[in-house]
Formats: sequence, structure tokens, C-alpha cells
Amino acid sequence: MLTEHMILTPVLIPLIGAMIALLMRRTYRLQAGWSLATILVSLMVSIWLLTKVWRSGQPIVSQVGGWTAPFGISLVGDPLSVLFVVMSQFVFATGIVYAMGSKDSVVRYPMFFPLFLILATGLTGTFLTGDLFNMYVFAELIVISGTVLTAVSDDWHGTEAAYKYYYISLIASFFMLIGIGCLYAAYGTLNMAQLAERIAIENNRPLLLAGITFLMATFMVKSAVFPFHFWQPDFHAAAPTAVSAMLSSVVVKLGIYGLLRMTTLLFVGHAPMIRGFLVVLGVIGVAFGSFSAVGTHNAKRMLAYSTLSQIGFILIGIGWGTPLAVAAAIVFTVNHSFIKSAMLMLAGYLASRASIKSASFEVVSGIGKALPLAGILFFIGSLALAGIPPTNGFISKLLLFRSGIDAGQVETVLLVGLASVLTLFYSMRAFQRIWWHNPPADSKVKPGGDRLLAPILLIGMVVVLGLWGDLLVNLARDTGQWLDNPAGYIQAVLRR
Amino acid sequence: MEIITAFAVGLLFAIGIFQTLRRNILRSAIGLVLLASAINLFLLSSGAYNGIEPAYVSETGNIQSDALPQALILTAIVISMGGTAFVLAMINIISTRYKTRDMDEVNGLKN
Repeated sequence: MLTEHMILTPVLIPLIGAMIALLMRRTYRLQAGWSLATILVSLMVSIWLLTKVWRSGQPIVSQVGGWTAPFGISLVGDPLSVLFVVMSQFVFATGIVYAMGSKDSVVRYPMFFPLFLILATGLTGTFLTGDLFNMYVFAELIVISGTVLTAVSDDWHGTEAAYKYYYISLIASFFMLIGIGCLYAAYGTLNMAQLAERIAIENNRPLLLAGITFLMATFMVKSAVFPFHFWQPDFHAAAPTAVSAMLSSVVVKLGIYGLLRMTTLLFVGHAPMIRGFLVVLGVIGVAFGSFSAVGTHNAKRMLAYSTLSQIGFILIGIGWGTPLAVAAAIVFTVNHSFIKSAMLMLAGYLASRASIKSASFEVVSGIGKALPLAGILFFIGSLALAGIPPTNGFISKLLLFRSGIDAGQVETVLLVGLASVLTLFYSMRAFQRIWWHNPPADSKVKPGGDRLLAPILLIGMVVVLGLWGDLLVNLARDTGQWLDNPAGYIQAVLRR
Repeated sequence: MEIITAFAVGLLFAIGIFQTLRRNILRSAIGLVLLASAINLFLLSSGAYNGIEPAYVSETGNIQSDALPQALILTAIVISMGGTAFVLAMINIISTRYKTRDMDEVNGLKN
């Protein structure tokens, strides 16, 4: 009974922590320390939940308020959602560590840490909820807190970027509401398990296709998939470093989670059609993101475009749809979160040491000569982005390509492999410009900047997961097997 | 009654989409408000309406309407109200920073 309700804690701890942090708005140090403690406790609880779920192979389901499944809201911790929760809370913890060592004036804003925790709450909630409308509410929480965190950025154009994001996200939320309305009109339930059951029995009700389309569009906007990507580089480059590292690594994974759930649980009957779309969009995303990243003049924008191409890889994995390919997509998701947040923090660190606060290559070119430690970290991160051993990026790409060859998609593998060479090109070019070029004569490196502890932690994870990747790969394989059989999820939630 | 609802939803969607595509920053925000109303009406019609039947659960057991969409709309209205207030606040900041109300002139990130 107690373990059932433990699944609520990863959502409740950051939420209550945010409320208490609000009371500490006059004491900055206390508030920051409290927020870190909150997220660490929450992280530990979610790791405990993950080991529990993985060992038993059964999801932990909590029916909120004691109302049984189709009527009440259920929170479902199955291997996929709990793994995503652990990933996001780890990255959020490093984000708070980075914010505590940051010289930006935005982290002194009394609402900064509470909003950060609310962002974590929203993300955890969308991963854990078993109810579509509840997912909409949590997604809206992410949107509002993310927007405010960007709007208060030190960057003068932060508000513009935040407005763009907010406008697009509001429209995406409208899409989601329309999708929810369509599914409700057709099947009369919003519980994901019951919806999956009813759609499996009768998959040709009139509004079903409209519902699928709108939900897909929503998740594609949330993940910045190719035709809906245009807001993402602006938004991720203008946000404060600690925030952009979260947005570009774990918050974009919301759409990935949604698409995984759509193809493996909700619309299994229509999954081949959805997967066909995802492979095409993924290949376009990989190529487009890589080429755009090559053409940018700003390290943060380059990394934001690189997210676009890495999300493309994940979509291709989901699109192939075999249990191994889904496992590869999950491994890729987790690894990319660590790599990308570390890289964005390093870009922010460079900007904080540059003469004017910007990650533009003109400003940071040659600045690295005085910063060897950041250079080593950036180099390892670039190797990981490109997928070269001994980093975790290698494992995710190897697994993805192997699953593609197993699924008989050799042409796509070749195409994507060629495009991923571009990753090496743009990340190494950035490394060269920052660490090898001679700095302009009049440029000075500031004596103090942000602290490097958070990127060290994340790059440490990158190397550890690269050298000892079995744990994550086995976990992802089990998750892929679990997702292959939606009946388990439905039975666990509906208690049949 | 159904036909009137259908036309109302369609008309609101049309006006809302037209307004969101305009360059004037305030008009596009009004478009968002109209779209939100259109979607709320759509959600209402997804379960609560059955022709001329009023949108509540009747006591006689002759249940024609479903209460859940009303709960959904209530939540959606609250969220969209907060969203609208926030949009207007941001428009206020943007129009004072960039001294314009034309979307195309708010282009500080365009490099």
C-alpha cells in the first residue's frame, strides 16, 4: 500500500519544495540549498522506485484519492516513465548545482529556484500520469515555468524568445485539447490504459484519426521535430544557461515520451502509419539539424540545432519500432540528455568568462587558451555528441545502427550515418575555434565565471555510461520488451 | 441546436486562426483568446450536448449528458485565463522594449 503511493513522491517533493522555497525568497543561500536538497531527495526516491520497478517487472500504480482507474486519475510508474523521471531529475539536480555557482543576475531573482522546481514537477508529472488530460495540465505547467525562466534571462532578447515559445506552446496545447476532445468524443474515456483497450477493440471510430493527428502535432511541437522546430534555437539560445541546459536536454524529451506512448500503448493499431511518419521526419531532422548547426555563429545556437538532429535519431529509433530499436531510442534519449546539458553548461561557462556575455564564436574565439579544464570537458562532450568511444554517445549510436540493420533498414542507417559525420564536423570546428585559434589582441578573459562542478558531474556520467554501459542498455532492453506488450500496462492500471 | 453549436465552433476557429496569423501583436493575442473559446465549446460538444438536451446529468435516470467535459472545460478555462493574462503582460514588456506592435519588427534574435 505504501509503495503504491511512493510513486506520487517524485511529483510531490519538488512541488512542496517549491512552495517552501517561495517562503525563503529573502535568503538566497538558504533557498538555493533547500532547492538542491529537495531535488536530491526526489532523485533518490525515484532511483529507489526505478530499482523496485525494474526488479519486479511490474509497474507501480497509484489511484489518486482512492478512485479506481477509469474514474479517478492514476499515476503509473512503469519502467519507461520511471527511467525518464530518474534521467530528468538527475539533470535538474545538476542544473541547480550550476545555477548555484552561476554569476548571472537571473539566479538571484527570488522566483528562480521555485520556478526551477516547478519545471521539474511538471516534467515528472507528465512522465508519470496515466491520464491524458492530466498530462495536458502538467505540460502547461512546464510551458509557463519555462517561459518565465527564459523571460527573466540576462539576455536582453530573452522576452522575445520566451514570447515566441509561449505563443507556439499555447497553440500546441490547443492542439492537445482538440486531440483529447476527439478521443473523448469517440471513446468516452481519458484514462490511457482504458483508451488503449477500447481503441484496440474498435480502431475505426470517426474522430480517432483526427485525435491521433492532433496529439502527434502536439508532441512534435514539444520536441521541436522538423516542421515545428523554428522556435527552438531562439528559445534555447536566449534562456539563462542553467535553464537552457534543462530545456534543450530533458524538457524536449516530453515529446519523445509522448510519441513512445502513442506508438506502443495508445494507438498500437495505427502504429505502422505513425512510425512511417516518424522515420521520415527523423531523417529530415537529422540532416536539417546538422546542416543548420554547421551554419551557425553562436555556440549555444549550434547546440540547439544539434538537439534538433539528435532528436531526429531518437525518432528514427521509435520509427523502426522493434523492441531493440525502441531500447536504442531510450538509451539515446538518456545519453543525449547528459551530453547536451553538459555541453550547454560549458557554452554558458565560456560566455560567462568572455569579455561580453555571449556565446557567439566571434566573442569566445580563442578564449579557451586560458581554460584548459573546460577544454577537456568540451572535447569529451564533442566526442560523445559525434558518437566516438569511450563515451556514451558511441553506445547509443552503435545500438541504434545495429537495431536498424536488424530491422533491415540499411539504406536509412547509411543515410543517417553520413549525416552524423556532420556532427563531428561542427562540434570539432567549435572546439578548434574556441581552444586552438589565437584570441583577438584586445580580448581579455574574465578572472571569475560560473563554476564547472555541474558540467564535470555530467561529463563524468557521460564517460561512466560509456565505459560501463551494460546497466543502462539492459534496463532499456527490458523496457523495450515491456513496451512491446501493452496488455501488461492495461492490466496493471485497470486491475483486471 | 447541434448545427448552431457546430457553426459557432467553426466560426470561432476561423476568426481565431485568421487573427493569430496577423502581424499586429495584440490582434494575434486576441486570436489566441478566440481559439481558446472555440476549443472550450468543442470540448463541451464532445460529451455534454446531445441535441437540445441541456448539459447536465438528469435526476430521472434518463441521462443524456456527461459531466466530465464540463470539468475539463473548467480546468481549460482557468489555464487559458492565466495564459491570456501572461501573454498580455509579455506583450506589454515587448512593446515597450521594441517600441512597436508589428511582429516583424520584433527581430532581435535574427542573427
